[in-house]
Amino acid sequence: MNYIENIFVCITAPLIVAMFFLRGKTLRMMIFMLAGMGMCLLSAYISTFLAALQGADIFTASLEISPLVEEVMKLLPVLFYLIVFGADADDAADAVLMTAAGFATFENICYLIQNGADDLFGLAVRGFGTGAMHIVCGSIAGLGIMHLWKRKWIRAAGTLALLSAASVFHGTYNILVSQTGAIVYIGYSIPLVTAAVIIAAKVRSSRKI
Amino acid sequence: MIETIVNAVQLIVTALAAGFAAYRFVTSRHRAWLMFGFASGVSFLSNLYWQLYLIFYGETPHFSYIPDVSWYASYVFLLMLMHEVRSVPLPVFTRPRSRLLWLVPVFTAGMGVFYMQWGDPIGNIIAAVLMCLLIWQSINDLIALKDEVCKKKRLLYITVLIYCVSEYGAWTASCYWIGDTLLNPYIWFDALLSVTFILLTIAVERAVRR
Repeated sequence: MNYIENIFVCITAPLIVAMFFLRGKTLRMMIFMLAGMGMCLLSAYISTFLAALQGADIFTASLEISPLVEEVMKLLPVLFYLIVFGADADDAADAVLMTAAGFATFENICYLIQNGADDLFGLAVRGFGTGAMHIVCGSIAGLGIMHLWKRKWIRAAGTLALLSAASVFHGTYNILVSQTGAIVYIGYSIPLVTAAVIIAAKVRSSRKI
Repeated sequence: MIETIVNAVQLIVTALAAGFAAYRFVTSRHRAWLMFGFASGVSFLSNLYWQLYLIFYGETPHFSYIPDVSWYASYVFLLMLMHEVRSVPLPVFTRPRSRLLWLVPVFTAGMGVFYMQWGDPIGNIIAAVLMCLLIWQSINDLIALKDEVCKKKRLLYITVLIYCVSEYGAWTASCYWIGDTLLNPYIWFDALLSVTFILLTIAVERAVRR
C-alpha cells in the first residue's frame, strides 16, 4: 500500500510554510511547484478511475491513459492563471515549467517509496530522464502559449493541440521506458536530448535578439 | 513488409520536416514555421507511438486516445498554418466564395457517417469537422488568390488539399484491407501522405518568403 496522500502532506508542508515568507515572482513560482505536486496526486486518482472505467490494467493505463490525463492536469493550474488572473504569456510559460518540475519531483518521490533508493545509477538515470520528459512536455505547452495566446480561436484550438503534442511525446516515452535493456536507456535519453536542443535553440534565439 | 517500409519512410520524412521547421522558426521567427513544425512533429510522434506499440506488443493500442487526438492536433496545426500565412487575420471559418463550397460539409459528413461502421462516432465526428474546415479553408483561400504576392501561397493550399485527399484515400482503403501488397491502395495513399510533407515544407518556404 502506497500512502500517496500522506507523502504529499509531508513533502508539501515545509514548502507551504516557506510560502508565507516569500513575495513576488518567487512566491508565484513556489505556488506553481506545489500545484504541480498536487496535480500529480490528482492525476494518479483520475488515471486509476479511468482505467477502472475502461477495464484497463495498470500497465496498459500507464501507456495509453495516464500520459493524456497527466498532461491535461499539468496544464490546468497555468490555464487558471492565464484566464482568471490575465497573466502575460511569458510569465505563464515559466509557470508551466515550474508546474512540470513539481509534478516530476512528486512522481520521483512516489517511485522512490515504491522501489527503494539503493540503486543510485538507476535512480539518477530515471530521475533525469523523467524530469526532462516532464520539462520538455511543459516547454512544448509553454512555447505554444507564448506564441498562440494572442488570438481567441487559436488560443482554444492551440491549447488542445499542444496538449495532444505533449501527450503523445509522454506516451512514446512511457512505451520506451517500459521495455528492458538498451531500449530503456534510449527512452530516458530522448527527453534529455530534446531538452538540450530546446536550450540550444533558446540560446541561439536570445543571441539573435 | 511493404507497409512497414512505407511507415518507416513516413516517420523519416515527418521527423525531417519537423526538424527543418524548428530550424527555420529559430532563424526566421515566423509563426508559420512553428505551426508546420508542430503539425509534422505531432504526425511523427503519433506514428512513432503507434509503430512502437506494434513492435513491442505485437498489436495496436487497445485505447487509441493518444494517437487519435494527436492526428486531430496535426489537422488543427495545419489550419493554424493557413491562418498564419494569410495577409489579413481572418476567423477560422470564412464566408464561402463559391456556392459549390457547401458540398464540402456534405462530403465530410457523408464520409464520417460511412466510417462510423468501423470507428467510434465521436472520433469520426471530430475528424469530419476538422477535415471540413481544412478543405473549406484551402479551397476558399485558393479562390481568393489574386495578385502575384498571394499566388506564392497557391502551392500551400493545393498541398493541403492533396493531404486531405490522401487521408480520405487511406481511411477508405483501410476499410477494405486487401493485405500487405503493392496492390493495396492504402500503401499508395500512405506514400502520398509522406510526399505531402515534403511538398508542405517547400510550400511554407514559398508562402512566407518576402
